[in-house]
Amino acid sequence: MQVEGNDIEAAYSLVGLLVIIAAGLGLLAMALWRRPSRTIEAPPAWAQYRFGFLIYALIFLAFDMEMIFMYPWAVVFADLGIAAFVDMMVFIALLSAGIAYAWGMGGLEWE
Amino acid sequence: MGIGEGTGFVLLALLGGALLTHGLERWVGPPERGPALPVSLSCGTVLPNADRWLFPAGPIVGFMGVLLGTVVLPFGPDLVARDLGIGVFYFIVVIDFVVLGVALTGWGANTPGAVESCYRIVAQLVAYVVPLGLAYVGAIMMAHSLSTTRIVEAQSGLWFIVLQPIGFALYVVSGLMQSYRHPFLEPFADGIGGGILSVVGGWSALLWRIALAGVLFLVAAMGAVLFLGGWSGPWLPPPVWMAVKTYALMALMLWLGRLARPLSTAEMLALSWRVLIPVGLANVLVVGILILLHVGPG
Repeated sequence: MQVEGNDIEAAYSLVGLLVIIAAGLGLLAMALWRRPSRTIEAPPAWAQYRFGFLIYALIFLAFDMEMIFMYPWAVVFADLGIAAFVDMMVFIALLSAGIAYAWGMGGLEWE
Repeated sequence: MGIGEGTGFVLLALLGGALLTHGLERWVGPPERGPALPVSLSCGTVLPNADRWLFPAGPIVGFMGVLLGTVVLPFGPDLVARDLGIGVFYFIVVIDFVVLGVALTGWGANTPGAVESCYRIVAQLVAYVVPLGLAYVGAIMMAHSLSTTRIVEAQSGLWFIVLQPIGFALYVVSGLMQSYRHPFLEPFADGIGGGILSVVGGWSALLWRIALAGVLFLVAAMGAVLFLGGWSGPWLPPPVWMAVKTYALMALMLWLGRLARPLSTAEMLALSWRVLIPVGLANVLVVGILILLHVGPG
């Protein structure tokens, strides 16, 4: 049964209930934990670190947004036919140019 | 399915699936265990430097991610907790809560190995999300829908693995990356003592055990839905077919993963952006041409 229109609340109330169950089970387990515990001695580790994938992270933001546009396009692709295909050709060409540019300027490297 | 039935079904499917997954992984016994590393369920941990809120929030968030992902898994024509209209998109979003959970636990624990685990898993997310999404897009284009049951029904004639072998290969590689299994187990590598698994114990170890086995189960089950025709098959009842395909795909993925040497995070990023994403974009074009040529379901 596909969910549509008025069933949205019925559909997502289960999702909401599961969020509450996950949090509830976790909190319950934490509160009821009475077993022995071992202490782990380790030096604190919160420090600045070398962020080696700066360019990857930047183009990732662009590509992750692009994926969101691609899903609705993919659903209606077969109905729109050749026009949708040409649109996406342009889109993919632009994205590929973006990757090629980032690669060419040495962005796809761990710095 | 009513809300009570749905809740019971989701919990049962996830716990059963995770338990079988864990059994399979212990039986296979990869060269380096990664997320399947043994943890103590009977002895809790005390971390003097840990963050009071973030550290315990991690396992709860990770467990929630796999629990929510199970909602849209179809085990039969009517055997799905909720057949959401945005099914696979919802799935992609909620399963990444596991990454958030590892990041919270790793940073919150404030030990060198665990914080390293946090850094590595965030970088791994940057590597796998886009190729994985591109592998999904091919199946969505042919099924004309984001709903998991419609995607299975669209494969009643021919499975998408036959029509989109490139998409399937892409899914296997990026799926292994998403489930942190060999050779992509950098966040849980032995070199950092298993990352966050070195600091969990007791209840948090149990939740992480379920979440990390569950993520492999979900990745394999979604692969069966997208490319292997999900529950459809002759003679046997639908849930049995779904389970058989899920664990067959999981065994194939674990076996293929063992053939490669473990990759560092930098190598994963390079593999993803230089190979997998261009291949994924090409796959979208190939599938588009196939649909324009009227190959595949209507």
